[in-house]
Amino acid sequence: MTRVFVFTNHKGGVGKSTSATNVALGITQVLRHAHASNCRVLLIDTDSQGHASLVTTGKKDYGADNSLYTVLMAERQNAPQTLMNCLVESLWDQELHVLPASPMLEGAERELMGIAGAPYRLADPLSKIVGQYAAVVIDTRPSFSLMTEMGLLAATDAIIPVEPRYLETVGLTSVIQKINDIREGWRHPNLRVSGLLVTKMDHRIRGHNHLLAELKAHPVLGKLLLGVIPVNEAVSYAHHNHQSLFQYDPRSSASKAYVQIVGTLVRYLTKVGV
Amino acid sequence: MVKGTTNRIDDLLASVTGDLLGEVTQTFQNHTIRVERILLEMVRPDPVQPRRVLPESIHLRFHNSHVTPTQALRELVQLVQIAARQRGRPFNSVVELLPNTDDEREQETNTLLSPEEQLLLDLVNLAITIRDDGQVNPLTVVDVSQGVTRLFRIETGERRYWATWLLRDFIPNYTGDGMIPCILVPEKQSSIFRQAKENTARSGLTAVALARQAALLLLTVHGYEIPAYAVGNDFYRQALQLDLRSRREYTDAILSAMGGMKKGYFSEIKALLRLADEALEIADRHGIEEGKLRHVIAVAPELHAEIVRQIVDFNLTSRQVKELCEGDRMQTDEDDPLERLPAAALKIAKVTQSISSTSAQDLVRALLKQEGDAAIARARLQAMRKLLSEAERLLGTE
Repeated sequence: MTRVFVFTNHKGGVGKSTSATNVALGITQVLRHAHASNCRVLLIDTDSQGHASLVTTGKKDYGADNSLYTVLMAERQNAPQTLMNCLVESLWDQELHVLPASPMLEGAERELMGIAGAPYRLADPLSKIVGQYAAVVIDTRPSFSLMTEMGLLAATDAIIPVEPRYLETVGLTSVIQKINDIREGWRHPNLRVSGLLVTKMDHRIRGHNHLLAELKAHPVLGKLLLGVIPVNEAVSYAHHNHQSLFQYDPRSSASKAYVQIVGTLVRYLTKVGV
Repeated sequence: MVKGTTNRIDDLLASVTGDLLGEVTQTFQNHTIRVERILLEMVRPDPVQPRRVLPESIHLRFHNSHVTPTQALRELVQLVQIAARQRGRPFNSVVELLPNTDDEREQETNTLLSPEEQLLLDLVNLAITIRDDGQVNPLTVVDVSQGVTRLFRIETGERRYWATWLLRDFIPNYTGDGMIPCILVPEKQSSIFRQAKENTARSGLTAVALARQAALLLLTVHGYEIPAYAVGNDFYRQALQLDLRSRREYTDAILSAMGGMKKGYFSEIKALLRLADEALEIADRHGIEEGKLRHVIAVAPELHAEIVRQIVDFNLTSRQVKELCEGDRMQTDEDDPLERLPAAALKIAKVTQSISSTSAQDLVRALLKQEGDAAIARARLQAMRKLLSEAERLLGTE
C-alpha cells in the first residue's frame, strides 16, 4: 500500500506548502539515490491559493479543465482518468508529478456541499492510481474545510507542521482531535497522526527553546515529534526562484533538516513496501 | 536528465541513504516481475499484436485514437446488431446473445454465426465469467509510461481487456472498481518472443495472424524498429524481403516461438502477406487456413479478394481452391489477351465442375447468406437458369 502523507494545520503560515513540496521532492530524490524501482511521487495541492502548484510547476493559472477542481467535478466513473489527465510534471524533477490547485476550488466547496459522497471525491479516484506512485503528498489549506477533509480522507499519514509559539501549540490538540474525528467519524482507520513538524525554529529565541522542550517532554506529542526545521532565509529565496530548498541551497540548515525528515518518511515507506 | 541535479545535492542525499536508510534501500530495489491491479484506462492493447481481437477497421480507428475503448466496442456491437438483424436474430442488449439453454432451436443456430457475432458472443461469455468468478488469470503488461502519462501496453491478454470493458460498460450488474489485475513486466524484460509463444500456444490463431507474427519476429531480429502505433499490412510485408538465413543465430528461437514449425512451413506462412489487403482482412476474419490461401497468392492480386470471398461463401476445399486458382492462372498465361474471357464466365464454368459436391439445401443457405433476402435469391437463381438455358442452346449450335 502506498503511503499518502497529508500536511495539515488550520493555522496559516506554518510551512505546510514548503514542507509538502520539499518533502515530496526529497522522497523522489532519496528513492532515486537508493536506486528504487519506483521513485515517482505525486504532490496534490488542495489549497486554492495554489502556492505549492506555483513553486513546483512555475504556473498558477490552472482552471476548470486542468486542476484538482476538474477531478472533483468529474463524473465518478471518469474521475480517475480525469485525475491522470490533469497531472503535471514538476519543474523540479521529472518523477515528481503535481495535481495542481485552482482558485476555483473556493467555489468547489460550495458546489459540492450537499452532494452525496462529496468528501470522497479525491480519495476515490486517487485510490485507483495510487499504486503507480511510491508516495503521495497532499498539501491542505489553512482551515478545516471540506477540501481539507477530502485530503485527510485520501491520506494514510497526517503530519502537522507547527511553529514553536504558545498559541500554535495550544491549537495542536484540536488539530489532532480533528484528525481522530475523521478517522472515527468517517471510518477511515488507515489514517493516523504520523508526526509533528516544528517549523521556523529559532534557537536564539528563548520562548522557542522552551516550547520545544515542553513538546519533547509531553507524553504523547513528544513521541510524535518528527523533526525541527530551523528558520532560514533560504526558504523564502528558494520560493522566490521557484526552486526547491535542496536545489537552491543544499547546504542550508533547513535543507539538512528536511532531508533528515525525508529519510524518516522513506523509512515509513519500507514498512509497507513500495 | 534529472533537472537540478548537482554534486551538492548528491552529497546531501547520500547522507540520508547511507546513515538513515542503510539496509532498507534493498527493499526499494525490486525490479522483478510483479502483479498489480491497474486502472483499465491506463492499459492499452499492443497496436502491432498479430492476433486481432477487433475487426480491422475498428482496430485501426481505436489505435489511431479516433475512438475510445467504449466507442470501439459500441461500433462492434452495432456491426453485430446489423448482421444479426439480417439473420433474423435482432438483439438490444449484448447479454441476449448468450444462448438460452432451454431452447434447442437456438442452440442449433449458433453454428451459423458470422465471425463478428462469434467474436462478440465469445467476449460476452468471457465478460460474464469474469463478472461471476473474477479474473483468475492476469494480463501481462509492459510499463511504457512517459512523463506523467502512465501507460501499460498489453503483451498478452487483449481479449480479457476487451471483455472487461464490455463488462464495465455494456453488461448489467458490474460491481468492479474499473481495475484489472496485471503482471507487470519491466520494459527491459518485455519480449516479442514471449508474446509469439503465448499466441501460438493458444488455439484460434488464424493463418494471417501467424503470418503477421512471423513477419514481426523477422523484422525484430533484423533490427527494424517496431512502432508503437497501428500499422498497415505494408509494414508486415517488409518481412517478405527477409529470411531466416541472414540471421541464423535466431532461427531456432523464431521457429520455437512460432510453435515449433518447420522452416518450409514458416516460409509458406510468411508468403501469405503477399495477399491483397482486402483478402487478408477477409481471410483473417473468417480464419481461412494456410492450405487454401497458398494457392490464392499465385494468382493476380486483383483477384485475391474475390477468390477468398468465394472460399468463404462456398466453403471451398483446398483442392477446389487449387483448381480454381490454377485454372485462372492457366487462362491468364495461355490466352491471347485480345480473346481473354471475362473472369465471371471462368468462375461460373469452374463452379460447374464442383456442382456434385454441394446440395440444393446448401445452395439455398449460401444464397440467403449472400443476398440476405429470399426474393433477391430467387431472382438470382432465375437469372442463372436463363443464362444456363442460353448457354446450353449455344452449345448445341457449336
